[in-house]
Amino acid sequence: MIAKLHVTKIREIIKETRRIKTFILDMKIKAQPGQFAMVWLPDVDEKPMALSYIDGYAGITVLKLGDFTKKLHEAKVGDIVGIRAPLGRGFKLRDEDKKILIVGGGIGVAPLAPLAEKAVEEGKEVTAIIGAVTKSELLFVNRFEKVGAKVYITTDDGTAGIKGFTTDAMRMLLEKETFDACYICGPEIMMVKALELARAKKIPSQVSLHRYFKCGIGICGACVLDGCGYRVCKEGPTFWDFEIEKCSEFGSYWRNAAGVKVYFKKK
Amino acid sequence: MLNIKVAGLELSNPTMLASGIMGVSGSGLKAVAVKGGAGAIVTQSISIAPREGHKNPTIYTMDDSLISAFGLPNQGYLNYREEIEQLKDTNVPVVASVYGYGIEEYVEVAKAMEEFGASAIELNLAYPNAGKTGSFYGQSEHLTYEVVRAVKSKVKIPVFAKLTANVTDIVSIAKACEEAKADAIVAIGPVGAMKIDIYAKKPVLANKTGGLSGKCLKPIAVRCVYEIAKEVDIDIIGCGGVFTGEDAVEYFLAGAKAVQIGTAVLYRGIRVFKKVCREIESYLKSQGYSSLDEIIGLAL
Repeated sequence: MIAKLHVTKIREIIKETRRIKTFILDMKIKAQPGQFAMVWLPDVDEKPMALSYIDGYAGITVLKLGDFTKKLHEAKVGDIVGIRAPLGRGFKLRDEDKKILIVGGGIGVAPLAPLAEKAVEEGKEVTAIIGAVTKSELLFVNRFEKVGAKVYITTDDGTAGIKGFTTDAMRMLLEKETFDACYICGPEIMMVKALELARAKKIPSQVSLHRYFKCGIGICGACVLDGCGYRVCKEGPTFWDFEIEKCSEFGSYWRNAAGVKVYFKKK
Repeated sequence: MLNIKVAGLELSNPTMLASGIMGVSGSGLKAVAVKGGAGAIVTQSISIAPREGHKNPTIYTMDDSLISAFGLPNQGYLNYREEIEQLKDTNVPVVASVYGYGIEEYVEVAKAMEEFGASAIELNLAYPNAGKTGSFYGQSEHLTYEVVRAVKSKVKIPVFAKLTANVTDIVSIAKACEEAKADAIVAIGPVGAMKIDIYAKKPVLANKTGGLSGKCLKPIAVRCVYEIAKEVDIDIIGCGGVFTGEDAVEYFLAGAKAVQIGTAVLYRGIRVFKKVCREIESYLKSQGYSSLDEIIGLAL
């Protein structure tokens, strides 16, 4: 079934950090962690957003970045939004994996919090590395701690946890511990590095990609990845390591609204 | 059994990917050609310069139909060269859809596409949501004639004209294509439509209006193909709501030699082309035919 547009109201707004807000919707969505919604703000735009709450009323967690997210941050409880969800393929928790590692950078933590909750519910041991530029921008640390995950924190400026990137913490952690599976979401360059670290230890991994979407349901072709032909909105946004290895554009470029390649800045 | 010659092109089967679906890059088209099994693929409509198209929402989905207004986004023909070139090793004919704001723009893009290796050109005279292009040309006999004639005089590969049903008399437009020596007519493009959400109290699409495609377009499109086939001798390619082999057969009986499939990619997946082909074959067998040729135009 193709998810249809459902116009609903914002039920609750939670200020998570200075630049991040969660919007709880007046609707429930039967979804897997890692699936997303196309979120329509009438007169503004429609953008893909990871579902950050899927038990009970559904929610999205939004970083104020461009015009759309700025307008969304101005929304009030009771305002109308259009939702098409659940879309895409969520993260896959495998029965045989007992001990998993979750690595999230910045707003990339949004789909990983419900994943951690589900993993714990399934009896898995969860370790999480959560990173942000600074202490006040750390997202959902409490949600991971609440379900009993072992949490490592990194900040670019050293105001909390380890000073550095999530991948720095991951490198140190993998020297003394191993995991059955790894789940990664954050800036693409971070995901490339995290995937390399996991691969070196032969840990099966999933990443969640971000691309420019138009239809969000797999027919317009805007988010097709070069090299593999996967549609990020349909076969993704989550991909296994062996799938993403076939996608030559991963870590290199994305395509803008016209379809023109835009190269990532290497840090 | 399903191979057919359309406007000089030898197709292994009569299903073509319609323009505007999966065509942003060569990778998407390749997936349709290889995994999907299309007999030919039509690129997204290409213009002179890169164009972002309309803001989202660009699509509204219903049970078996869509209203969409992407606004002809594309990279511009120079960037698109490498996308087309990726398709050479698939051995599936590539039809380049082109549009322009001015006849000279249609000609420039068509010439480039021929040079990049396209097997045919499809002139977009059908698209309703991008200003003075597409259906702006296809709604005038005179402009249709001029665009087709100008492009025909500059390229050697076959030229298709994709027409809109948003006209008083589609047959007179089809005749203008024939007079201008078009090699085939594609009928039809999406029909102007809109959706208003009653709770938001606003049009859903950012462009306000869009184009209707999918199942609900089929009876209109079959009627157009039938009317054109009665009056015009050049090949016709049916387009609109082909989801199954049975849908395709209706078009063949109405006089079309091939069909384009777009919206059904959403409802039946990328492999819809293979599925439709199997269904056409089983129809032909059950009716005692040994080739597709035998049923073209039987209902005329």
